[in-house]
Amino acid sequence: MSTPITLLVVDDEPAILRLLNTALSRAGYAVIEAGSAREALAAVAIDKPHAVLLDLGLPDRDGLELVPLIKSAGPAVVVVSARDATEQKVSALDLGADDYVTKPFDTEEVLARIRAALRHRLSSESEQALVCAGEVEIDLIARSVRKGGNEVHLTRKEYGLLAELAARPGKVLTHAQLLRAVWGPAHESDVEYLRVAARGIRRKLEEDPARPSLIRNEIGVGYRLVT
Amino acid sequence: MFPYAGCSWVRAANCRIRRRSRPLEAGPSRFTEPPVPDAAPTLLIAASRKRWARVSAPIAGSTAYACGAHNRPVDDEHTPFLAQSRELAFESGGLGYAVSLSLIALVTAVAAAVFRPGNLTNVGLLYLVPVMVAATRFGLRTGLITGLVSSLAYNFFFIPPLHTFIIDNPENIVTVLMLLGVAVVSSQLAARVREQARLAQRSAAESQALASFAQQLTGLRTRVELAMLPCVELGRLFETHAVLLVPGENGLAALAASPADAEPDRIAALAGLRAFEANQPTGLGSDTLAASKWSFWPIASGGRVHAVLGMARLDARTPVGPEQLPLLRTLLAQAGLAFERNALEDEMAMIAQLKERDRLRAALLSSISHDLRTPLTTVLGTLAEIRPASDEQARQLSETRREAERLHRFIANLLDMVRVESGALHPSAEPVDLAEAVAEAFHDLRRGLTSHRLHFDLPADLPLVLVDPRLLHHCLINLLENAAKFAPEGSAIAVWARRLPNGLGLSVLDEGVGIPVGDETRIFEMYARIEGSDRRGGTGLGLAIVKAFAEAMGLTVEATNRCDRPGACFTLRIPEGKLRAGQEVDA
Repeated sequence: MSTPITLLVVDDEPAILRLLNTALSRAGYAVIEAGSAREALAAVAIDKPHAVLLDLGLPDRDGLELVPLIKSAGPAVVVVSARDATEQKVSALDLGADDYVTKPFDTEEVLARIRAALRHRLSSESEQALVCAGEVEIDLIARSVRKGGNEVHLTRKEYGLLAELAARPGKVLTHAQLLRAVWGPAHESDVEYLRVAARGIRRKLEEDPARPSLIRNEIGVGYRLVT
Repeated sequence: MFPYAGCSWVRAANCRIRRRSRPLEAGPSRFTEPPVPDAAPTLLIAASRKRWARVSAPIAGSTAYACGAHNRPVDDEHTPFLAQSRELAFESGGLGYAVSLSLIALVTAVAAAVFRPGNLTNVGLLYLVPVMVAATRFGLRTGLITGLVSSLAYNFFFIPPLHTFIIDNPENIVTVLMLLGVAVVSSQLAARVREQARLAQRSAAESQALASFAQQLTGLRTRVELAMLPCVELGRLFETHAVLLVPGENGLAALAASPADAEPDRIAALAGLRAFEANQPTGLGSDTLAASKWSFWPIASGGRVHAVLGMARLDARTPVGPEQLPLLRTLLAQAGLAFERNALEDEMAMIAQLKERDRLRAALLSSISHDLRTPLTTVLGTLAEIRPASDEQARQLSETRREAERLHRFIANLLDMVRVESGALHPSAEPVDLAEAVAEAFHDLRRGLTSHRLHFDLPADLPLVLVDPRLLHHCLINLLENAAKFAPEGSAIAVWARRLPNGLGLSVLDEGVGIPVGDETRIFEMYARIEGSDRRGGTGLGLAIVKAFAEAMGLTVEATNRCDRPGACFTLRIPEGKLRAGQEVDA
C-alpha cells in the first residue's frame, strides 16, 4: 500500500460526517470532509478523491445536481441520503451515481458499496474474465457458469442478465440499464422479462431461492450481484 | 290578427316553394307570387330605387323579411342576413307588365313607322327585344305573357290579313312560337344567374358570420362570456331565442340566455338533458322529444359534450331550417372548440395548482423525514462502531440497536401514514415476483425475526403481480412484524401464496393467540389495540398501513383465525387482473 485511497464525504450534518470519518478511517481510507456543495466541488477539484459519498440534502444545492459534475471529474459517487423514494434512487443512478445507500445506513453496507464502486472504477479498463460469487463462477469469456465446479445451463437471457451483473459485481444496475443491455432499448420498461429471468437464475443457482444470496433485488430500482 | 294572417300565407308560400324547388335547386324567383291580400296592411309594396319592387312582411314580431329579385334587406341594420334563405320570391307585379307592354307598344310603333308593310322577318326580330327584356328582368311569367302579347301584336298589326288575329301563313306561326321560346329560354338563364348570385351572396354572408364568430370566440376567456356569445350570435343569426345550458350540480343549468329572460319549460329542459347525454340534437324538429317548443344542439368537441344550446321561436316554428343546418353545425363546432380550449385551460390551471400542492407536501415530508432520520442514522451508526468490552455490554448494545431499528421502522410507518392521509401516495405498479418481495422483507427484518422459525411456501410457478413494489414491501414488513409481535418466541411464522378462485392470496400466518371474534375488521383501524395484546407494545399503525397501502394498490387485506391451530392469518388478496403469467422471453 503506497498511497491510501482518498474518499470525500459530503454531508451537512457534523455528526454524520464524524461517524463516517471514523468508520472509513478505520477501514484504511484517507477521508476528506465537505459540508456544502461548494466545498464538495472545490475538494473534488483540489484533492482528487477516488470516491465521493454524497448526501442529497445539502444547504446550498440539491445533491442530485452534483452527481454529474462530480462524475465528470473522475471519482466514483455513492449517494448516502435519507431520501428513500424509488424515483430519487433511480434518478441518482441514471445521472451516473455508482450506488445509493439510504439513511439510516449500515456501516458495513456503506463499505461494501464503496468497495464495489472503487473496484469497478479501477478495473473498468481491464474487465475481469472470471467473476466469483460464493460457490458460483461466471466465465465472461467462455460464457459459461459453474456452481460448485459443475456447469449450469442458463437460457440466453438468463446468462445475459447474469453476465451484465457480473461485469460490475456488487454494483446496483437499474431495471432500465439491464433491460437495455440484455433485451435491447425497445424493451427498456419490460420489467416482467427481468423478473422472469432473475427467477430462472435463482432457481438454478441459489441454495434457497427464498433467501437469495447471489442476486439481490433493490426494490423498485434494480438488481445487484452479491460477491 | 294581421301579422298572423300574413304569416300563414307566407308560410304556405314558403312550403310550396321548398317542395317544388328541391329537386332542381332552383331559385325562388321561378315561381310566381301568391296573391297579395290587399287588406293586409303589414305588407308593403314599395317601389324603391330604380324599378324593383320589394315586398316585406313583418314576421315573428320583430324582423322584416326581405324579398324581391335582389334580396336587399329592408333595413341593413336590423335584418339578419340569413333571412334571405327564407325569402319568398315575388316577381315584380304590375311594374313588369307595364314596362313590357310599353315596350311592345313602342316596338309596334317603331316597326309600323320604319318598316314597310310586308317586311315581316325584321319586324319579328324587333319583337324579341321586349320579350327578352321581360323574361330576363321579370321572370318566366312576365316573359311568357310578353311573348304572347308580342306575337298577338305582331299578328294583329303586321301579319296579313292585317288587323285580325288570323294567321294564314304557317311561317308566321313559327315566328310566334319562336317569340314564346325565346321568352322561356331567356327567363331560365336569367333565373339561373340570379340563383347563383343569391347562393354566392349567401355563402359569403355565411363565411363572414363564421369568421366573425370564430374571431369573437378566440377573444373570450371566461366561461360565462363563452356561453353568452353563442346565445347572442346564434340567436341573432337565426333570429331565435337562445339559451345555453351547462352541466351543474343538479343536471343542466342555464349559463346564458338571449334575451335574458328566455327560459325553456320542463319538457324542453328534459330535451336539453337528453341532448347533453346522447350528444345529438333533440327537441323540436328532431326525433327525440319533438313535442318541445325548443330545439337543442350539443356543443361538443372530441366526443365530449361541453354544453347544450337551445333555440326556440315565438311562433313555434322549427328554429333552424334544413338549409341552415350546415352553418349551424359549423358554428356549434367552433363553439365546441372554444369550450374545449376553455376546459383545457381550467384543467391546466388545476393541474398546476395540484402540482404545487404536491410539491410543497413532498418538500415538507422529505424535510421531516430527513430531520427524523438524521439523528437516528448517527445513533445506529455509532452503535455499530462501538466495540463492546464485555458480554454484558454486547447484550446491551444489541438491545439498544434493536430498539433503535424499531424506532426507525416506527418513523417510517408514521411518515407512510402521513403520506396516506395527505394523499401523497402515488403507487406506480410494476411486475413483482412475490418470492423476491418476501425475501426482501425478510432480509430487512432479519435482526428482528431471529427468535422465530420461518416457513416459506411460495410455488415456483407463481404469476408475477402488478403492484407498487415499495408499498408491497411495507405491507409485508408490517405483517411479518405484527406476526413476530404476537407469536410466542420459537414459534413458526409462515408465508404462503395460494391460487384463489379469482386471484391470488398471499398469507402471513403466526402461532399466536389469534384475533378475538368480531375484531377481524377493527384490527385494521388506526391505533386499534386488541385487548390483552399490548404486552409488547406496538404503534397500532402497522395494520392500518397494511390496509391503506393494499387498497392504494387495488388489493384487499383480511384477517382471520387459523383453522389448523391457534394463530392469526393475514391474507393479501390480489385480484386476477393484477396477475401476469410471467412467460420466459428468450428471443
